[in-house]
Amino acid sequence: MQTVTQIGDARDRSGLAGPVNFRPQKKRVRRWQRWFTPYSFVLPIVLFTLLFLAYPVIYSVALSFRDATIDTFVGGDMPFNGLANYQQSLSNPSFWRALLNTVLFTFFSILFQFTIGFLLALFFQNEFPLKNALIALLLVPWLAPILTAANTFKGLFNEVGPINQIGHLFGLPNLPWLADPQLAFIAIIIANIWIGFPFNFILLYAGMRAVPLEIYEAAKLDGAAYWKQVSHITIPMLKPVTVAVLMLGTIYTVKVFDLVWIMTGGGPGNSTHLLSTYAYQTGFSVFNFGQAAAIATVMVLLIVSLNLLQLALQRK
Amino acid sequence: MCRSWWSFSACALLSVTLIGIARSEVTTVEIVHYFNVQGQLDGLAALKSDFEAANPDIKIQYTYVPFAELLSRTLQMAAVHKSPAISCIDNPDVLRVAKAGVLKDVSADVAKLPTWQDTYPGPKSAVSDGQKVYGVPIGSNSLAIFYNKKMLSDAGINPPTTWAELTDAAAKLTKAPVYGLAFSAVNTEEATWQWEPFLWSNGGKLLDLTAAPAKEALQFWVDFVQKGSASRDVVNWNQGNVPEQFISGRAAMMVIGPWMLGQVHKSGVDFGVTPIPVPKAGMKPIVPLGGEVWCVSKTDEKTEAAAVKFITFVQDPARLEKICNTFNYISSVKSVAVKQGQANAELQPFVLQMDTARARPEEGGANYPAISLAARTAIQKALTGQSSVDAALSEAAEKIKTVAEKK
Repeated sequence: MQTVTQIGDARDRSGLAGPVNFRPQKKRVRRWQRWFTPYSFVLPIVLFTLLFLAYPVIYSVALSFRDATIDTFVGGDMPFNGLANYQQSLSNPSFWRALLNTVLFTFFSILFQFTIGFLLALFFQNEFPLKNALIALLLVPWLAPILTAANTFKGLFNEVGPINQIGHLFGLPNLPWLADPQLAFIAIIIANIWIGFPFNFILLYAGMRAVPLEIYEAAKLDGAAYWKQVSHITIPMLKPVTVAVLMLGTIYTVKVFDLVWIMTGGGPGNSTHLLSTYAYQTGFSVFNFGQAAAIATVMVLLIVSLNLLQLALQRK
Repeated sequence: MCRSWWSFSACALLSVTLIGIARSEVTTVEIVHYFNVQGQLDGLAALKSDFEAANPDIKIQYTYVPFAELLSRTLQMAAVHKSPAISCIDNPDVLRVAKAGVLKDVSADVAKLPTWQDTYPGPKSAVSDGQKVYGVPIGSNSLAIFYNKKMLSDAGINPPTTWAELTDAAAKLTKAPVYGLAFSAVNTEEATWQWEPFLWSNGGKLLDLTAAPAKEALQFWVDFVQKGSASRDVVNWNQGNVPEQFISGRAAMMVIGPWMLGQVHKSGVDFGVTPIPVPKAGMKPIVPLGGEVWCVSKTDEKTEAAAVKFITFVQDPARLEKICNTFNYISSVKSVAVKQGQANAELQPFVLQMDTARARPEEGGANYPAISLAARTAIQKALTGQSSVDAALSEAAEKIKTVAEKK
């Protein structure tokens, strides 16, 4: 049947006479339709992308080249001011601190999230009782509303909070977790690792399940030890999943906002600002929308370049 | 067939037009606000029904937006020429929004009101740039010291009135896990706002942070944390966390405002309220003013007139007293505030402070938010020991200088 149809179609297109043209008068319409139909399938997504994704990004980038403050915003006459917003941001040490913080925050978050997720995924390849219940429990951090999680961590890291209480048992002194610049930065990373590791775990777990068991069996027959199997089968076979997990993880982590905003508000003394919280503060505490847009643009560039870097490293 | 269709549509068109005309006689006044406590909402609802009964041609419509979104929403709506008739704007932001050209000058309308003549100078300066007036205050709030009566009497201490007494009391009341004093120095406006009573009472200014009064005021705060009579966590406590400490018995005293009275009462803690302690006996505390302002946006003539009618309606002394009591605010009108203080001893310290209270934009006007940001970074750096008091303040002063130069 298929062959017949194909031949019929080919004849039709090449203009050869065939039994297919029952209504020759509609031919023109059908030709137009044939051209249009595939585009009409992609039209909704193209419109959606342009309207809801491309437009805001372009608007934000355009805003970063304008003098957009509370005074010029309402009148709508935000004058073009070239690179002034970038110049002012880049000359501010708080910006560089926020940029460095964002890079460190992303690096350490992903490092631990991925490692913990990977080891857990490996462990859960074994069969044992209550396995599915445990998997469901492990997903809780990912499902918990960030608002709740952040406020809980704020309470845990309180000077008289549970984390210090546990510390006392090991003879540690009372640590001012969120009141000390370095410790506060460590605290937000710990909180973010807790929130993000289940995402890494579940994707890697699913990825490992997809590796055909025959390969492991063959390796076992060849006498490969467990860690040999992991390093020579699991890790290479997981490469596509790893790339996806790392890329998505980077995007999620660079744009973390609510967690930090609730736990420290960028403080103490601007020491835990990420680009996201710094941009928010510039935009909505000081009302310099142009500079905030410039910082947001740098953030987008950071995400893109980190992802390109990752892709390049993966290709090697 | 054809005929009846025509007559039907003609009828329909006519009735739609008539409804439209009838409707347009009623002016709708949209009021955007962020009040979400039940008492406040009840107060607003009562105002609406009173006003609509007196003015059948005007309809009041409240729109709630979260606190953080009120300003951006007001500006966005103004940018597309759909401003709400009235916005309830937090008083330090009023001049900032007015500078964007969004608000109507109501000076001619308020000049006629007897209550305006009787309004305290602080709230007046928050809504006026000297000539133009951009709204009338709903009411004011400020800060004072709440103290746990039992803890103070157990330690044999009277409510502190001077800095020396406060330091002394905080030290004596500190007994693990109880800290003597709790205040908010979180990385938001709350830190600057809570520090201002000490800065201003000492004669300091945000615009002159390198002067001795400012250094003393910051050192005063730093000492509490360094001596351990306030928790190091104050840099993370917002004004919601501070009462939590007080209510759970982990702080003997706290710096907070009258809006918390209801909640602290509900907790069952036996507490008292005393004015902000002053540097030396005999001085007057100078506290910053909080509270929202009814601001009329620039819209069309009719809506503006209706909005002005509403805000003047609320200025009736009896109504002012009622709404301020439901909000736990102090009226910005002196005669009303004095009455509130006589009726309620817990409000009295706040009423006493109203004479000298200051609006925050008196420092830097429309640039206040940026100035406040620089100041609170210094507060946080000094409290956490990242910088010395001197270094933190000179760094902030440098930033404030560049901000204040921008006009």
